[in-house]
Amino acid sequence: MTRPLLDIEGLTKHYPITEGVLRNEVGRVRAVDGVSFTVDRGETLGLVGESGCGKSTAATAALRLEEPTDGRIVFDGADVTAFGDAELKRFRRRAQMVFQDPTSSFDPRMSIGESVAEPLRVHGMRDRAKRRRIVGDLLERVGLDAADMDRYPHEFSGGQKQRIGLARALVINPDLIVADEPVSALDVSVQADILDLIDRLQSAFGLAILVISHDMGVVREVCDRVAVMYLGEIVETASTEELFEDPKHPYTRALLASTPVADPRQRGQGASLSGDVPSPSDPPPGCRFHTRCPEVIPDESYDLDDATWRAVLNLRLRAESAGIDVAAVREYAAADDDDDTTAVDPAAVRAAIREEFDVPAELPDPDAEAAVAAALDRIVDGDVEAAADRLGEAFPTVCRRERPELVPTDTDLAAAEWRAIKGFRVWVATLVDESAETVTGRVRERCGEGADREGEVDRLAVRAAFRLPEPLSDSAAERAVGAAVDALLAGRAGDAADELYDAFGPLRESACHLG
Amino acid sequence: MAGESDTFESVDWEETGGRFSTLSRRDRWALATVVGLLAAFVYDYAILPADRPTITVPVEWNVTQLDWLFVSTLLALLLYVAVPLYNNRRLTAYYWREFRKNRMAILSLVYLLVVFLIGVVGPLFLDKPVLAVERAYQPPVFTSVDAAVPVDCLGAVVEGRCQGTMAHPLGTTGDGKDILVLVVYGMQVSMKVGLISTLLVVTIGTAVGTVAAYGGGLVDELLMRYVDVQLVFPAFFLYLLLTYLFGGSLFMFIVIFGLTGWGSIARLVRSEALQRAEEEYITAARSAGAGTLYVIRRHLIPNVSNSVITAATLLIPGFILFEASLSFLSLGDPTVPSWGQVIATGRGDLSTAWWVSTFPGVFLFTTILAFNFMGDALRDALDPRQET
Repeated sequence: MTRPLLDIEGLTKHYPITEGVLRNEVGRVRAVDGVSFTVDRGETLGLVGESGCGKSTAATAALRLEEPTDGRIVFDGADVTAFGDAELKRFRRRAQMVFQDPTSSFDPRMSIGESVAEPLRVHGMRDRAKRRRIVGDLLERVGLDAADMDRYPHEFSGGQKQRIGLARALVINPDLIVADEPVSALDVSVQADILDLIDRLQSAFGLAILVISHDMGVVREVCDRVAVMYLGEIVETASTEELFEDPKHPYTRALLASTPVADPRQRGQGASLSGDVPSPSDPPPGCRFHTRCPEVIPDESYDLDDATWRAVLNLRLRAESAGIDVAAVREYAAADDDDDTTAVDPAAVRAAIREEFDVPAELPDPDAEAAVAAALDRIVDGDVEAAADRLGEAFPTVCRRERPELVPTDTDLAAAEWRAIKGFRVWVATLVDESAETVTGRVRERCGEGADREGEVDRLAVRAAFRLPEPLSDSAAERAVGAAVDALLAGRAGDAADELYDAFGPLRESACHLG
Repeated sequence: MAGESDTFESVDWEETGGRFSTLSRRDRWALATVVGLLAAFVYDYAILPADRPTITVPVEWNVTQLDWLFVSTLLALLLYVAVPLYNNRRLTAYYWREFRKNRMAILSLVYLLVVFLIGVVGPLFLDKPVLAVERAYQPPVFTSVDAAVPVDCLGAVVEGRCQGTMAHPLGTTGDGKDILVLVVYGMQVSMKVGLISTLLVVTIGTAVGTVAAYGGGLVDELLMRYVDVQLVFPAFFLYLLLTYLFGGSLFMFIVIFGLTGWGSIARLVRSEALQRAEEEYITAARSAGAGTLYVIRRHLIPNVSNSVITAATLLIPGFILFEASLSFLSLGDPTVPSWGQVIATGRGDLSTAWWVSTFPGVFLFTTILAFNFMGDALRDALDPRQET
């Protein structure tokens, strides 16, 4: 079967920031901001990124442990976001979770046998003896002793508890397991055991696994495909092999460069990330990574190398966030000369700022130099805002102006087209188990606005409703979408979904102006 | 499915019942007990004439409203304290080892168990002391008092001093009531006051605290603001008013202070439950499909129980002391012989008959002390993080 088990489209989770008694919303923390990915049966997808990039929130929102703000979650042909209580409970039986902290993920007041059997109980297995038999068998299969089931969590090591956590996730025979940092709390020696166990369980039971991790090593070990997240967005997806051999996105490259390599000859290679992760409550405009990107695109009118450009941009961003403390710089410059702070030579202060931001004493490009010098003068005068304006005018960058979206790298599709295709695909995926009449009815409901005079929904109406331009810029994509629309109009949603997933299965995607 | 080995893959989930009740076996027992008690109560209240004793075998016992409450409390303690302790023997053994480190606490526990047992069983076998002026002011055994003090000395009069006898080992009051019997009755009163009020307070407080913490949002806001209001509600004045209107009654005391005193417990439980609710095992239960009630019942309450039990052991002496003070001020129930009341009756005779106030006073003092010692030791054993 080519259809994925889980198709997530535009998943969003915002936390409102409220103020006052009336809880007025004054802002939003965009923890997850429009994330799309698919997980096939038997596949392991890795979701990587730094701490705080929203990967765990994406996982809990995908399982509806937290209500997503927006987005579609399609699990095995059913729309999870539309589930009522009873359906949600049936879904819970098929999608389980493994947690990061082996200590906190077990109730200290329950024996681990009770903890592992809890999902069985919750799903209505009343026979206590049968529960115990199942749990005993399962504990042995994850490498523990059946007799351990009467012991309490504190009597186990972290690695053992993580095995028990896997047993608990497996006990109701799910199709999907979401593992949130499954080994990050464990010793390196134990990590390998657990990863190996995950691998074996997966091949034995054909599980789909979503692994969330910040550790590129772990991802390389267990994942078939990887999605890289930065600040609530996916910036790149690729098969593990491709991602490690040929990372397309600068953030992926930076992540890979930060992984220690056991080879002394390669020490200190690669650019490291500068600056802090911006706050998800106020994400940077344009490409969210541009504030830290080592490969930020220079403006064509200047003749500057990447590092200098980065340095100038850092100066600009800091000036914009009012992060330059002139008094402190003055003091620093004064300390060099042993003068008193009021009588410091402005030239010394300018030099100190340049030094701080790694901006060369004289930029190779005269226009750029003039702009930086003018801005520095304003900073010395204490007017940081004016300096920010001057720098902003002089050094525009496409990375800040435009927000790049995920596009498949091996096709000619534009970002908007790809977004439309994904939206269409996930909608079709919710209909695969419906009868032809229902499908036709739903199509009419969804695409009725574009219907022709006789009230018939035709190809054009469907394509208009899903904003699919005709023709698409990629011929293979056009063929697949055309076939899918035809199948859909004939009431064969299953075939339509197959067409779409065949053509746009796990594609390699990247979101960067560089591509 | 018989014959197949039970493994997790072999479970047919379409067949396994989807309906599931959060009630454990213990809860069902509790439910059955409540139904049984209610039936017995209705029988006693509606069918039996008020002056007929409810049971005659093994002892004659006319069960009062308060007795019904007390029996329910004892059964609740049995089902929700004793049975879990027995079921989780390993955990119990661990706590016992911790508790045992405090020798005073062991002593207190033994003392309280004795007081409890005598208090529960004693009044069933001992007749209520009655007015008998001819036996007034008998001194305790092994002591003597000027022969002019008792109306009629029951023991030997040696050199003008009346000797105490074994007939009244702790002497008698100015009404001729036996102090030992009064003390035994007082034990029952104290246990009733301490246990029933505390159970009411703990049950309501825990329910409100956990629901507020786990429910969050508007539920939390409503419940906790109600608690704020209740904490400033003058329950004492309500009690005074009702005493003035209907006369003092122990039942009223327990109900009023039990139903209005749970605010601080609710706050304690809520703050504890808020922490617990963040733990991953709660998320694990939810991701397994467990509902709100299940999570509260099976995870939150067991995990806040340590601090609740500790707080409860320190609440009990408070209630006992409060009842004693009210009785001392003649604001208590005149029909039940509580320690405070006996102390009050003896306070005018302190110069001649010191034993009347002293013995109940000593029992009151030691009981309160024992509860406090035990509370401290329990806190150390169950909840080592909490500091005094």
